[in-house]
Amino acid sequence: MFNCRRKSNGLCLSIFIVAAICSLSVSVKAQSETIDSTVVTDTNLVVAAPPTSVIASEYKYDDAEALELSWVPSIDDQLVDGLVLAYRVYRATNGGELEMIEELTPGNNNFTDHDLSGDSSYSYVVAAVTVSGEYSSNATAAISPEREWLNYEKKWLFLIALFITSAIMYFIRTARKKKLFVRKIAGLEAIDDAVGRATEMGRSILFIPGIQDMDDVQTLAGLTILGRIAGTIAEYDTKLFMPVSRSLVMTAARETIKASFQTAGRPDKYHDDIVTYVTDEQFGYVAHVDGIMVREKPATVFLLGAFFAESLILAETGNSIGAIQIAGTARPAQLPFFIAACDFTLIGEELFAASAYLSDEPRALGSLKGQDVGKALAMFVILIGVLATTIASAWHVEAMQTVVDTLSSVFSTK
Amino acid sequence: MSTRLKEMLVVAVMTVFFVIMYWGKVDGWMTGFQFSFGLSMTVVALIVVSLLVILYLTLQGKMIGRRVVFLYVGISVTLPFFMSLSQQIKISPEVQTLYDGIAELPPGSVVLSAFDYDPPSAPELQPMAESFFRYCFNNDLKVIVIGLWPQGPQQANMAIEKVMLDESIAAKNLQYGIDYVNLGFQTGNEFVIQRMGSDFKSMFPTDYSGTPYDELPLVKNVKNFSNIDYGFNFSAGYPGTVEWVQVAVDRYGLKMGAGNTAVQAPQCYPYIRSGQLIGILGGMNGAAEFELLTGTVGKGTKFMLSQSFAHMIVIAFIIIGNVAYFRGGRKRKL
Amino acid sequence: MEHFAIWVAAFLTMGIFSFLYKDNAWYKLCEAIFVGISAGYWFVTLFWDNIYGKFWVGKGDDSMLYIGAFLGLLMLMRLVPKIGWISRWPLAFIVGATAGFYLINYFSSNVMRQVEDTIMPLLGPDYSAGAYDIIGNIVIAVGTFSGLVYFFFSKEHKGAFGATAKVGIFFLMITFGASFGYTVMSRMSLLIGRLDFLFGDWLGMIK
Repeated sequence: MFNCRRKSNGLCLSIFIVAAICSLSVSVKAQSETIDSTVVTDTNLVVAAPPTSVIASEYKYDDAEALELSWVPSIDDQLVDGLVLAYRVYRATNGGELEMIEELTPGNNNFTDHDLSGDSSYSYVVAAVTVSGEYSSNATAAISPEREWLNYEKKWLFLIALFITSAIMYFIRTARKKKLFVRKIAGLEAIDDAVGRATEMGRSILFIPGIQDMDDVQTLAGLTILGRIAGTIAEYDTKLFMPVSRSLVMTAARETIKASFQTAGRPDKYHDDIVTYVTDEQFGYVAHVDGIMVREKPATVFLLGAFFAESLILAETGNSIGAIQIAGTARPAQLPFFIAACDFTLIGEELFAASAYLSDEPRALGSLKGQDVGKALAMFVILIGVLATTIASAWHVEAMQTVVDTLSSVFSTK
Repeated sequence: MSTRLKEMLVVAVMTVFFVIMYWGKVDGWMTGFQFSFGLSMTVVALIVVSLLVILYLTLQGKMIGRRVVFLYVGISVTLPFFMSLSQQIKISPEVQTLYDGIAELPPGSVVLSAFDYDPPSAPELQPMAESFFRYCFNNDLKVIVIGLWPQGPQQANMAIEKVMLDESIAAKNLQYGIDYVNLGFQTGNEFVIQRMGSDFKSMFPTDYSGTPYDELPLVKNVKNFSNIDYGFNFSAGYPGTVEWVQVAVDRYGLKMGAGNTAVQAPQCYPYIRSGQLIGILGGMNGAAEFELLTGTVGKGTKFMLSQSFAHMIVIAFIIIGNVAYFRGGRKRKL
Repeated sequence: MEHFAIWVAAFLTMGIFSFLYKDNAWYKLCEAIFVGISAGYWFVTLFWDNIYGKFWVGKGDDSMLYIGAFLGLLMLMRLVPKIGWISRWPLAFIVGATAGFYLINYFSSNVMRQVEDTIMPLLGPDYSAGAYDIIGNIVIAVGTFSGLVYFFFSKEHKGAFGATAKVGIFFLMITFGASFGYTVMSRMSLLIGRLDFLFGDWLGMIK
């Protein structure tokens, strides 16, 4: 055992000095290893504990392109305000060099890293930044993002959609066996009357299926009604003309009219010029239709489909030439003009109901009934939900709160 | 008067009008034409009196023609251009929340702006677009432009060109490709938004002028909506705000605001209440409010007086029309 | 050149305005120019932006584009009457894909989300709502419910059900009225835009 007291003072001092120098050099070295590029000569050195428990985990329900990172913030961030200036997130791809990918404000404890590839592995380091430098955590274990095939957060959306779809399929099957009840829609009988009126007056009928393409269900509903009208028109031998703004609609409308004329036993009356393409440009189309409305003066105008700003211009021009106008659209913003300027208007879903009713097609009727099931469900949920939440919040009834929470979790898409 | 004579008279009046206008322009006497305050008030008073006369005539059973209504609307919109009157603009909550959403973005944030309109809707949406770019460029926000309508990106370029003339923005010496980029039009409506949710580049392999996506520094590292800090949709119909909300907001969580034509603004209001949109600029009124908040005076503010005058005329004719309707109805019953 | 373009634009704008008086040759000329140019513009835009700009340039990066191009070619089969029926396949693809896409979008954003947001305490949490908010909440809840009743087609509108449907149509009409007001505003803005062009850009009367 070394005892300074038994040796000379000089030797003791020498050993002390050597030991001190050694220990100092070791501590300096150790510090420079821990705090890379930190200014250590500054007497105002601001040291912070690094973030701990840094965990990189799989980001749920993505296409193998994201990972989630969480950590416990530096204890100094939690205790002292303003000491930690930021957190820097570093990422190493496939065991390579660390590169900074994000700087976050103090208080943050998670980060989602996007734009990754499922073929690579990633490891992360989070550093707390002070005025003096960075204090890094340990690196996380390497992890690769994985693709999930199903998003379980959307399970209620799926189940409710499945329920309504099943109802639609059930009613389509039923409609094939027996006639389904659909309430009378006001204005439907006016369609035949309007065709008859044009025939009596010896004038033409103008049909406008909106300005949208075949991917819009309103255009489809408009063409279904056209199919029904075209049959009557062929029987009465009335002139029909139909300018359209989409080439696909022109194709579909020609086929619809051709089929109707054939069914009515008047295929000779069909010719392609009944349906003409004008232009895709909204107001160019309107300028043309307005012009021919004034020149041809049709006795009846049908405006059935998806309409936008042109609705008022077309309905107003039709009104000014004294035509009977039957309109229908599911665009809420355009309905006011049709209601004001047309003789009959199919409001919103009535357009689809009318197309189902007139076509008498099991698929259309079944869809309509199936959708009614969905509406009944929505009505029930709104009624119960509003009553329950009002009672729960006013009188703090726990059972009601449970009902509200359940409904909210089912219908939540956030 | 025969129809032929009437038509010739109209042509003669139009010709004289054109000649006077051309002379005025060449001579310069009508540049910056402005009524004094007194004259402005006199004109307003004359219009009110003439409307009262029309109301009186209607009550007497003398109906006016539709062309008179057209004329009044035309006058009510035109005269305020030259009047020395101003109108106070009040900020509505949905415009305030929209502005607050943009104002909290730090410099360098990436903003995606979708231009889904064409020249016919420009009077309402172009002032919004201009103040939007003005704000973004002045506050160092990076802007990516796309369009789901063919003429949308062109409208964006026109707005950018205009705001670049501002001294404060010209001084910043903004670079195309670094500070802003126009990726052009893509057909496919909401399917484009859906694909952008996984990969922007697949929908826009090149920008407006054909430069490959990877050669544009601003978007080189933008893969999908997760790299976008804020979305702004200028919309005049379909595809537009409804589709952006349904796909970009609800599926991909994009924070979004919208500038709509007044026609479709009511359709988008439910999205504010449910938090799917942070705010809406509705029509020219919305544009004027946004201009006020961003501290600029553009066409939105300038034309609010015309808008208000026209509204008053429309209300007056709704009253006159209803008087005529009920008077006619009573007659029929008798 | 720009000067000339502005005069042409002014001539065309006034030609379209002339329709307000009556249909005439000037309007017919403007209409024909408008229809022709806009159809041409769409063709050129779709060709250069899509067929060239997106497909031709982007085909190397994304082989899926070939499928789109193939479906597009099938559409052109319509030009050959004998095999014209093939054009129904891409049409079926468009209608089917869009229906599936819409089902989820509309169902999630316009049904589920809106139903969820309609479930709210009418009196506010702990009676906290003021009279204005209570009325607002009642309007939203009753309006949504009665509107749904109106669009329910499986039951005749009679008795209490019919009365609720009447309330529904009442709410719809108020909505349409508000919407009408907004649209008038929109139309006026368009007119202002055109008149601004005539008096500002063309005649230079507006500073």
